[in-house]
Amino acid sequence: MADGAASKRPLSPHLQIWRFTVTLAASITHRGTGVVLYGGLLLMALWVIGLALSPELFAVVSAIIHSPLGFILIVGFVWSLLFHLMNGLRHLYWDYGRGFAMKTATMTAWLVYIAATLATALIIWAGYGGGA
Amino acid sequence: MSKKGTSSFILQRASAVVLAPLSIWFLFEIVSALTADYAAARAWLSAPLNAALLGGFFIIGALHMRIGLAEIIVDYVHSWAKDVLLFINWLAALGLIAVAGWSIYTISFAG
Ligand code: HEM
Repeated sequence: MADGAASKRPLSPHLQIWRFTVTLAASITHRGTGVVLYGGLLLMALWVIGLALSPELFAVVSAIIHSPLGFILIVGFVWSLLFHLMNGLRHLYWDYGRGFAMKTATMTAWLVYIAATLATALIIWAGYGGGA
Repeated sequence: MSKKGTSSFILQRASAVVLAPLSIWFLFEIVSALTADYAAARAWLSAPLNAALLGGFFIIGALHMRIGLAEIIVDYVHSWAKDVLLFINWLAALGLIAVAGWSIYTISFAG
């Protein structure tokens, strides 16, 4: 870009000059949570193997689940699944050809972040505190 | 997208539609999972409905996650490593189905 400031021609999108938009963030987060869930499903397979093979192995997996690290993993997994699920519904709605208006897309993106966070708090509270 | 673009696209969406209700079920279950001990968890998984739903979650999840990660690999990796990663991605999905399927089968029929 020899002379960016003076140019009157439209510039092509550039990574460093993209303005933050919540719709862009949601699309990156969808990809990120997809990868997190991939790892999460593999970890869950460990839980079932432990359950199938022996109480000793299950106790090891169970100890991890109840450790502080396990708590972080579970909060991350639950939030990721909720976000990816809700945002996935946005994707499916788009594939159906609806919901593209900028105002709608921005609104639903905020909604997914907020709803996923609230629902995570509720589920973790029920699992660790109030419920069980 | 993998080379079989259209069928991957459709399978990705179809699996997402099935995963949506399964995930909601799963999120309810995880609350009790946090507190379950070995005997309780085995008893839970011995119930046919729980075994079927959890097995379905793993199998459909494996299909969906394989296509999704293949798409990401193809987006970012352009060297020889691409084929290696795509192969590992296949192994992980098949391994998940095999391991989860075997475990659930064993628990269901061993009581
Ligand atoms: C159980 C675990 C799940 C895993 C491991 C998973 C994983 C993934 C991955 C890795 C991707 C690729 C992301 C990308 O290309 O940027 C993806 C995409 C997608 N997922 Fe999931 N997912 C899961 C559950 C769900 C659920 C419950 C839905 C429900 C609506 C869903 C809907 C979608 C959709 C619609 C896409 C395509 C997005 C696009 O067009 O770019 N996923 N998923």
